[in-house]
Amino acid sequence: MADEKKIGVYLCSGCGIGDAINVSATETAATKQKASFCKSHSALCSEEGVNLIKGDIASGETNSVVIGACSGRVMTDKFQFDGTNVVRSNLREQVVWSHPAGDEDTQMMADDNVRMGVTQARLGNLPTALAEGEFSDTLLIVGGGYVGMTAALEAAKSGHQAILVERSDSLGGMIKDWTRVNPDDAPYREPQDNPVPGLIETVKNNAKITIMTNTTVAKTDGMPGRFVVELAKGGTSSVETVGAIIVATGWRPYDANKLGHLGYGVSPDVVTNVELEAMFAAGPVKRKSNGSAPKQVAFVQCAGSRDPAHLPYCSSVCCSQSIKNALRLIEADPDVMCTIIFDELRTPGTAEEFYRSAQEKGVVFVKGKVATVDGNLTVTYHDDLLGDDIPMAGLDMVVLATGMVPNSTNTEGAAIELNPEQAVYSHDDINPAAPIQVAGYKDGVVAPAVQVRTQNEVPDGAPILNLQYRQGPHIPILADGFSDSHYICFPYETRRTGIYTCGPVRRPMDMGEAGLDAAGAVLKGIQAIHNVRHGRSLHPRVGDLSYPKFGLSQCTKCRRCTVECPFGAIDEQADGYPTLNASRCRRCGTCMGACPVRTISFDNYSVDMINQMAASCEIPDEFSGKARILILACENDAYPALDMSGINRHTYSAFVRIIPVRCLGSVSLLNVSEALSKGYDGVVLMGCKSGDDYQCHFVKGSALAKERMGKVSETLKSMMLEPERVQSMEIAISDSARVGKIIDDFAANIVKIGLNPFKGF
Amino acid sequence: MNAISPNPTQKYDLSFARWVRDNIDGGERMNMCMQCGVCSGSCPLSDQMDLGPRKIFQMVRAGMKEAVLKSNSFYQCVSCYNCVVRCPRQVPVKYILHGLGRLAVQEGYQPKSNVENARFADAFWWSVTTFGKTDERLVTAKYYFSGGLMNGIKLGLGNLKTALGMIKTKRMHLGAPHKAKNRGELKAILAKAVEIQARHEGEA
Amino acid sequence: MGKKFTFYPGCSSQGSGQHLDTSTRAVMAKLGYELEDIADWNCCGASVGELAAGHLPTAALSARNLAQAKEQGDQDVMTACAACYLNTHAVNEEIRDNEQTKNDLNEALGAAGKSYDGSLHVRHACEVLVNDVGMDAIKGAVSNSLSGLKVAGYVGCQTVRPFAGTERGGSYDEYDQPHFLDDFINATGAEAIDFENRTSCCGGSVSVMKPDQTLHLMHKILSEAQAKGADMIATPCPLCQTNVEMYQDKINKKYGTSFNIPVVFHTQLLAVAFGLDATKDAALNQNIIPADKLKAKAK
Repeated sequence: MADEKKIGVYLCSGCGIGDAINVSATETAATKQKASFCKSHSALCSEEGVNLIKGDIASGETNSVVIGACSGRVMTDKFQFDGTNVVRSNLREQVVWSHPAGDEDTQMMADDNVRMGVTQARLGNLPTALAEGEFSDTLLIVGGGYVGMTAALEAAKSGHQAILVERSDSLGGMIKDWTRVNPDDAPYREPQDNPVPGLIETVKNNAKITIMTNTTVAKTDGMPGRFVVELAKGGTSSVETVGAIIVATGWRPYDANKLGHLGYGVSPDVVTNVELEAMFAAGPVKRKSNGSAPKQVAFVQCAGSRDPAHLPYCSSVCCSQSIKNALRLIEADPDVMCTIIFDELRTPGTAEEFYRSAQEKGVVFVKGKVATVDGNLTVTYHDDLLGDDIPMAGLDMVVLATGMVPNSTNTEGAAIELNPEQAVYSHDDINPAAPIQVAGYKDGVVAPAVQVRTQNEVPDGAPILNLQYRQGPHIPILADGFSDSHYICFPYETRRTGIYTCGPVRRPMDMGEAGLDAAGAVLKGIQAIHNVRHGRSLHPRVGDLSYPKFGLSQCTKCRRCTVECPFGAIDEQADGYPTLNASRCRRCGTCMGACPVRTISFDNYSVDMINQMAASCEIPDEFSGKARILILACENDAYPALDMSGINRHTYSAFVRIIPVRCLGSVSLLNVSEALSKGYDGVVLMGCKSGDDYQCHFVKGSALAKERMGKVSETLKSMMLEPERVQSMEIAISDSARVGKIIDDFAANIVKIGLNPFKGF
Repeated sequence: MNAISPNPTQKYDLSFARWVRDNIDGGERMNMCMQCGVCSGSCPLSDQMDLGPRKIFQMVRAGMKEAVLKSNSFYQCVSCYNCVVRCPRQVPVKYILHGLGRLAVQEGYQPKSNVENARFADAFWWSVTTFGKTDERLVTAKYYFSGGLMNGIKLGLGNLKTALGMIKTKRMHLGAPHKAKNRGELKAILAKAVEIQARHEGEA
Repeated sequence: MGKKFTFYPGCSSQGSGQHLDTSTRAVMAKLGYELEDIADWNCCGASVGELAAGHLPTAALSARNLAQAKEQGDQDVMTACAACYLNTHAVNEEIRDNEQTKNDLNEALGAAGKSYDGSLHVRHACEVLVNDVGMDAIKGAVSNSLSGLKVAGYVGCQTVRPFAGTERGGSYDEYDQPHFLDDFINATGAEAIDFENRTSCCGGSVSVMKPDQTLHLMHKILSEAQAKGADMIATPCPLCQTNVEMYQDKINKKYGTSFNIPVVFHTQLLAVAFGLDATKDAALNQNIIPADKLKAKAK
């Protein structure tokens, strides 16, 4: 901004603010902080209040606005003035609603919050977008099964061109030839016809969908809005530019050859659920041993699932599938006796109706764990409800319900050798040492032994997209092979922006869920296409125009930013300097927190800004007895939890000064050491949970912050300070009731340790 | 042994669950059992049952025919219907227990002489078919002596005071038993019903 | 007011439950209802019939009663005995809802030239008191308040289970803590104690065969009634009345207690409260343990 900055501060005295603090004293604090002026209003969010600000902007009195009122998380539409940078100072939720009215410390807190706001306004500018070049509206869909076809159709219905790539010679995928599938329509009680054959025709007849069979993705470069994709078919290849990519590569059955203890390979009449589907497709089911019709059939659930020696997880569909196949056998011949031996029958949602339907039709359900199936088809299981081992003899067929393995790579293609730095990105690297729990057992319950994680294992087979990213060709996956995504908030997201997984490659699911998944992923792809062309960020900072800028003159080519970016947004140029692929970036600032020389910053966010904001608070001298604790709170969970704490009128120490950060990943160690050297008595990093069940909205930010804080003790030691003065805390959005207590405990401990001797230096 | 259910000699009989479903009154809902145990928990006599309804249902599924039919549980049932009204899956527990209990006696898993209920039921049925009505005095006496003469005298003397009280208040009468008038008609109906029931059992 | 019912007295009406029969007839007459007995009724099969003969022959007993009732008219069938109600109602519903049973039973009835289509409605006398008569009318008929009496309302099992909560069963109360009996007691001016064991089983259907295995059930019921200061227990079930009354000696011997608690029918209370005759209508002379406090209230 070429014009001189004229910072206008507007204080609101509504919502109890004016009753709890002396607003005119806060006005004085603002003007002393060198704001151009400070005004107050009894209801700033009213039309009159908003017009007051609009008038000042129009008359040129201010071009940078600080609003001292409610939390920046609310009234965002009211306090948005096009072309003007707006900073929000939280006086309501985090000051007057969470601290005693009329108290000296409450007043000091309010004053400091406004001072920090003025500093933030001085150092921050309205961001300008980076959106150059051409963009494509086309979606690339990888995988021509039910999910991929559904995705292509959804894309076409939304007016987008879709390229549907299938590695085999025909559409249809895994279940193309299955005759009946689990019910997806009310009343959910009977097996249903397979919709796939009909879907294939619909997709073929849709002019917006380009079908490419016998095709794989040889290379993917570029970024959301303009991925450059090389498609290989036979010996030839073609290049397409697409706006977003949907990966629907589906699943394959777990290898039953590893299930010899369950009789597979021992008797021909022990078959898998997938083999049974083929037997149904071939006509009336016959025993493989002698061609006779089976009369006594047992279905063994969790065959190689939820088993530390095999798949540690539940595939969620096998129970319903066995129910379906038992019903089909009974339907074909009412004399067939079907027993389903389950450990825990998992028929979620409407599948419960299917389960009851099978019970009514005479399918026998037995709760037990199958230990062995021998060559005579005697199934020995431990019946938990009888507390006894039961040999079930006289069977003439045993069906093993094997689980789903995600096609996160193309097992038919050749693996690509990765450099060691890339290998870590093909696999979940959050905590490679943590063992994998077998699904479904809580603490205190005797669970099967945990599965040891193979550290940094590279999946077999070729990468699905062969990403030409500095961080490697694979879409990052979790330890169990499914693609990494924020399961709670952003299910379709992968750790590669603009690339969305759906269906069983993402997590085990049935057709009904997978169809919805396909539609959801396509909508995310369309959002990406429409946002990135305007330089707008995707989730969770949706619409953010700011992006990291590199001060290359100071860059030491240390590569930490390229290594630590959770989304592979930053590549290295040939000369070793980082280069940003802007639309891959999610604006978390993890690169900024990683940079040891503070040369990465955003127009409205920087390491220096955080330092200066912290420094603009008044630090009382050591004789006052008033500690000061800097809280750097993640804007995604911790900051809203603190707001909600205030909304619920929970109180906490008034010694804290809270600065919202984009992600704990954006916090530099320098922010911590600087605060301590300025006289803060303690520093708290409040962010999301890290680990396998991470809550971090930027996947790795909180884990990286934890790792960096592991090194802070050395810094503290060199400053002759106690390590307890710095702490990172995991606060979820649901922690509003207890966050106050956590803060108070920390504050009490700081007082116990004694105030920071650096005060006044 | 009146082998109306399949493979009576097999310890684990896979088809037993299906047979119970198709042949025991209420058995078609036994499949709905989800093993919650509300039936056994609600049963006032469960402490005197060796298995209890929940376990019996699971053993039927496991095909443990012999162990099920040798259970004493059926004959402890007091027909309080707690299990019936409380079952979250609407399994008519009491009816299934009574059906299994009758089967166990019929097939010889339970010697009738050991099953008081079966002997009492026989005495009761004798009175019903003979007089059309239950004569409490005669049914009780017949039951007492169904376990042998000495046993009958012992039981009879043990309840003498009770019986005297009943007689004194004219609630037990000493003359000829009350009878339905058209007993021939009733006998014809019952004989036909027995015949139809046997026919259905033959079909199964 | 008033209405006619076809009445099924049941075997106990001629034996251990005569005083229920007498007092029910007296109370219903006082309330203006006409009861016409099933002309040549037979036993319902009670709880043990099925064990001896199986389901169908047992059901045939009720089918014959119902066929006769139908011959006597379309009015509802009423019975005061819990087991009679349970069996007759159940068979009636089965004939109504289950084509196979309907055919089987009609085939059996056909052996005597009879038939039945399931079109009647079988009702328990307590349900009729709640739904047809109504608590206001009952209170209105009370001319001789029983105030001062503390009564434990003991419902037992089969009066409410398994039909009291069903639509065809009249939906008149719940299964675990029904209140209709307390309402009757309170209507008479007596005080119904808060009786937690009101639907605990007394073991009646097994007591004849093996009383030693059910004494603990009756002990529990009597103990609570005594601990809560009940002057007597009131019940609508003939088997419960006899059972809880006549085994008190045995219980006293086994548990070292000294129970001597009168057990009366709710209709005996109502008869006295309606100002009817203590012997002719309330049949108080037929309780083995005399309900002296109730007798003292009688006019």
